[in-house]
Amino acid sequence: MSDLNDNFSSVSRKQVTELYLKVIRLIDERVAPYLGKATTRALVQGAARRVTNKYPFLSCLMKQPYTDLEPSIIQEQLSGVTPAELTAGLDALLDECFAGLRELTGDLIVPPLHREVTDQLRQLQ
Amino acid sequence: MESSVQSESQIRDGTHGSPRVYSGDHLPAIRRELEYINRIGKRFVAAIDRFQVHRALLAALQELYSFSACCILLKSDPYDLFIIPCYPLDAAFLESMILRIASAASVIDFPDINVSHLARTAYFDAPDELAQTRTPGSSSSTQIGACLNIPLTVENRIIGMLSLFDEKPGTFDAELLQTSTMIADYAAVALENVRLREREIALWRDAELERQRLELIIRSMAEGLLITDARGAIKSLNSSAQQLLAQVQIDFTLDIPLRQLAETSNVPWLPRLTEIIDMALRGKTVTNQELVAGLNHDAGEAVALTLSISAAPLHDASGTSRPIGVVAVLNDVTSNKQVERMKDEFVSVVSHELRTPLTAIKGYTQHLVRRIERRIRKLHVTQTRPASTSELPESYDLRSLNIVQSQTEHLERLVNDLLDLSQVQWGQLKLNYTTFYLADVLAEHVRSAQASAEQHRIRLDIQVASSKVTADSVRIGQVIGNILDNAVKYSPHGGQVIVRLTEQEDGDYLVSVLDEGVGVSPEHYAHIFERFYRVHNTTSHQYTGIGLGLYVAKAIIDGHGGRIWFTSNQGIGSTFHFTLPHTPQAKAPEGASGDI
Repeated sequence: MSDLNDNFSSVSRKQVTELYLKVIRLIDERVAPYLGKATTRALVQGAARRVTNKYPFLSCLMKQPYTDLEPSIIQEQLSGVTPAELTAGLDALLDECFAGLRELTGDLIVPPLHREVTDQLRQLQ
Repeated sequence: MESSVQSESQIRDGTHGSPRVYSGDHLPAIRRELEYINRIGKRFVAAIDRFQVHRALLAALQELYSFSACCILLKSDPYDLFIIPCYPLDAAFLESMILRIASAASVIDFPDINVSHLARTAYFDAPDELAQTRTPGSSSSTQIGACLNIPLTVENRIIGMLSLFDEKPGTFDAELLQTSTMIADYAAVALENVRLREREIALWRDAELERQRLELIIRSMAEGLLITDARGAIKSLNSSAQQLLAQVQIDFTLDIPLRQLAETSNVPWLPRLTEIIDMALRGKTVTNQELVAGLNHDAGEAVALTLSISAAPLHDASGTSRPIGVVAVLNDVTSNKQVERMKDEFVSVVSHELRTPLTAIKGYTQHLVRRIERRIRKLHVTQTRPASTSELPESYDLRSLNIVQSQTEHLERLVNDLLDLSQVQWGQLKLNYTTFYLADVLAEHVRSAQASAEQHRIRLDIQVASSKVTADSVRIGQVIGNILDNAVKYSPHGGQVIVRLTEQEDGDYLVSVLDEGVGVSPEHYAHIFERFYRVHNTTSHQYTGIGLGLYVAKAIIDGHGGRIWFTSNQGIGSTFHFTLPHTPQAKAPEGASGDI
């Protein structure tokens, strides 16, 4: 997802957060019929745990399911984080989510979902 | 088997919100799928332990795929890994499987997963009836060809993970992923049910062990123990209680309330037992209630079987105020009572024996005092040169004899207290009523106390116009003497003691004795009128006494229908009060003569 970074330079942190939450919801929608509703939440939490060393501001996703987070609440925790840093962190998070999904199901559902997510990110920019 | 379940996007695209219509080609596939779901569902529902769940799972999955092994990782303390191979697998393959399981578990946030721990603790379960054979000619592989990991969820909670492995690549199919997840869901629910059942069995076993332990304790208790229900019917009694209650031919275990038993039987102590149990049923904890339950013939001689009963209400876990029963402990205190009686008899005999020499000492001392007084008077008259009376050797003798006399009176009071103790103990305290002036008795005792306590100031404060009363003047004097004795004893040198007589609103006289002593600390409040009770504290070591004065005083005042109590400010002093009706209010004790 790193090729998308540069295009987010002009948007706010709130917009970036909302965009990525939308994308994660898309993953959730697609994954839930295959692996159940709880899986995406656990995937996101696991992914957040792995990237939190590099992007500490994502630790909020580690402590609670992303579905419980409101962009306005995240804003408080993101003070001092630039939109570019946030985008990089959320990109890393998405990459880890896909890596995790691939760990679970191999290539059964990842390739088409990855394409769909990439398309959606492009459209929403 | 091919899945007919469509993904959400597929369904959205195909139906456009209108009811789903299946073509004739789909119906056999749906029927097959329903039959399959029904079949595997029944297997999981019938599974009563985790190995039956493993069999149901393996059988269901083998209808979808041909694979090498199925593994179940469960979150417990910390994790349980079950490996179910379909045929013998190479050790390297097994090792790779465990690595992949740990890796997949970490992506769905299983904390602290440890590969070596999993390898050490993994359980192997290989159902023979579901064992497969390898393709002829193929050899055991060390590499994983295909892997599928599905979280096991119950009510959106991940409880573990199902992992499927095969030596060949491309074994698992996206089309069958939903069906595999459905099977995993069945397995998750079945495993959770097994876990709950195991927990229930463990809890039940613990409860049963605890019950047996409790039963053993109750059975081996020397004390009798009985438990009643909310009606007061005995539901359980241990062997000690059975023995204690054995002398009456009543079956206490017939589920009949004690009150009903008491009404229909002529056992004299049953109403008392019923009364104790009823008190506890009303929510009150009662302790050490004595009950004489007939005669005990154990020692060859018939003695009253005396039980000390403590009973407490039983409340259920919901905390409702109404007790659901009573638990009562019965102690056989017959031998204690015998010892107590022997001790009282001994005290009584010794006191009587002491009284005779004391009377002689007192009499001869009085005689000597009078003789010396006469001699002093005579010397005073015959001496030509007047000298101070206090310089005469006879005067020294007189002072010494006065001390002997005072101490003899004190000793006599102690002996009398011991004799009174026996009378009070056995309800034989005699009161001889006469009409007299209370103020006179108070004045006499104040004078007497002052004579033997020169270092204290004892003041009499009479605040009534008339103090005419009908009572036992000797006993009332004894009460005042005992209280004054304590007041002087516990007051510092130079301390003031005030004896005040007032009249209460109800007309009763109120006598108050105020001292400037050490006071009484709160832990003694409840015991101060008990027999042989003495306040032991760092400052009371110097004080003598046997702890009977207030006990006897209370019995005397109770006998007159009055009341005795005290107020205390520790370090400042105490005030002992007693009330005395103009005429006796209570029934005179047995043997009392009434010249009122």
